[in-house]
Amino acid sequence: MVHISDGVLSFPVVAFGWVLSFIIIGVTLWWSEKHGDIAEQIPKLSVITAAFFVASLIHIPLGFTSVHLMLNGIVGVILGILSFPAIFTGVSLQAFLFQHGGVTTIGINTVILGIPALISYGIFKTGVKRLPFRNKIESLFGGISGGFAVIISVVFLVFSFMLTGEELTTPASLIAIGHIPIMIIEGLVAVSIVAFLLKVKPELLPVKGGGKNE
Amino acid sequence: MEYPEIDKYSSLESPIHNFDPRTKIITFTLLIFSSVFVEDIRFAALALIAAFILLIISKLPFKFIFNHVKWVSLFILPFLIIMPFTVDGDVLVNISYITVTHEGITYGFLITVRAFTAILLVFTMLGTMRFDTTIKALHMLKIPNPLVQMLMFTYRYIFVFLDEFQRMWTAMTSKGFKPGLNISSISKIGKSVGMLVVKSYERAQRVYQAMLSKGYTGNPNTIVKFNIKTRDYLITFLIISFAVVLHISPVVLLQ
Repeated sequence: MVHISDGVLSFPVVAFGWVLSFIIIGVTLWWSEKHGDIAEQIPKLSVITAAFFVASLIHIPLGFTSVHLMLNGIVGVILGILSFPAIFTGVSLQAFLFQHGGVTTIGINTVILGIPALISYGIFKTGVKRLPFRNKIESLFGGISGGFAVIISVVFLVFSFMLTGEELTTPASLIAIGHIPIMIIEGLVAVSIVAFLLKVKPELLPVKGGGKNE
Repeated sequence: MEYPEIDKYSSLESPIHNFDPRTKIITFTLLIFSSVFVEDIRFAALALIAAFILLIISKLPFKFIFNHVKWVSLFILPFLIIMPFTVDGDVLVNISYITVTHEGITYGFLITVRAFTAILLVFTMLGTMRFDTTIKALHMLKIPNPLVQMLMFTYRYIFVFLDEFQRMWTAMTSKGFKPGLNISSISKIGKSVGMLVVKSYERAQRVYQAMLSKGYTGNPNTIVKFNIKTRDYLITFLIISFAVVLHISPVVLLQ
């Protein structure tokens, strides 16, 4: 997944990204403070964020190039609403350490990846709750959440380009087309991750019998 | 996978290295935001030159920066190539359906120049202090506590999990695994990511218990003392005035 660099987007889009991501971070942290101990959550959340950060560095060969995993859908499924501050941390560190994405665009990049993560969490949770089948259906919903997160992220990315100016229509559509294979790979990886976690550590997932089931 | 060592050259000696971390973060952030939204190509170029001068003052090796700009280049170069053909304006070249416009070329260069200015400034800011100093400075600048702590812990554990994943990857490849674009390969990569998450989850419990037993309350204690000298005020003043001038002078001069 490409993160938007500095210097491309207009000021209103960048400012909107910062404001929206701070509001959502504030709300999610406040919510988890209310429902538990934030001092306990933060170290645990950070350790898992670091693991996802490392996993997002894996290259999968694709033709003559290679793609990185985004994993924002699966981050959403595992971390729930706290996936948003986790993604903010991840995006900031990617900008600081690898110059992957810009510093001024941390806000908008967090929105682009984080809101789809929250939506994926919603899809997975309602999907698994409504349907009676076990194991197979959960992996399937994991895959749907993983792939769907990429689609929404790309839609957001295209929107942020279009809002900046009509000049950016062509790059936006090229990026969107380039993400079709990534969406499929991402969905398949998510199926495999959810199937694995169901067998090994179901309490990490918001499923029946798991520890995170409220 | 290599370590993301942004602070590899933080032990060098230069005026930028000696600049107080808090004022450095504020002034450089202002300058980055200022140069990223410059609308005029000439002033964008001026900002790029300024960023270069700051980089030279900081004595960071060029090779180190060159290795790191590849992500930005990958993202930015397509703009430089596509923009001349898609933006409407004065036609420079017209061959059947392909037109190259003056505005398109300018816009492509504007985006490129702004992106590289930002990246050079980010390097000069973060490459000249240890990353833990950066995080402490962020804490002292009253960035919300949970965010600072998440940055700190995540940064620390990225290195741990890079090693962890490297071991898993070596084990996988020594057993004959080759990454490729097929279902079995993707499923194995998914399982290895799952394993990494399980390991991190179990480690998270132990980390938290170890921290509690050492008196962790949720508030970081910093023992490093920063002090701002007169020279820091001077550099701050110079950089911030430049950042302001970048936006005022196009309005005044180009009327």
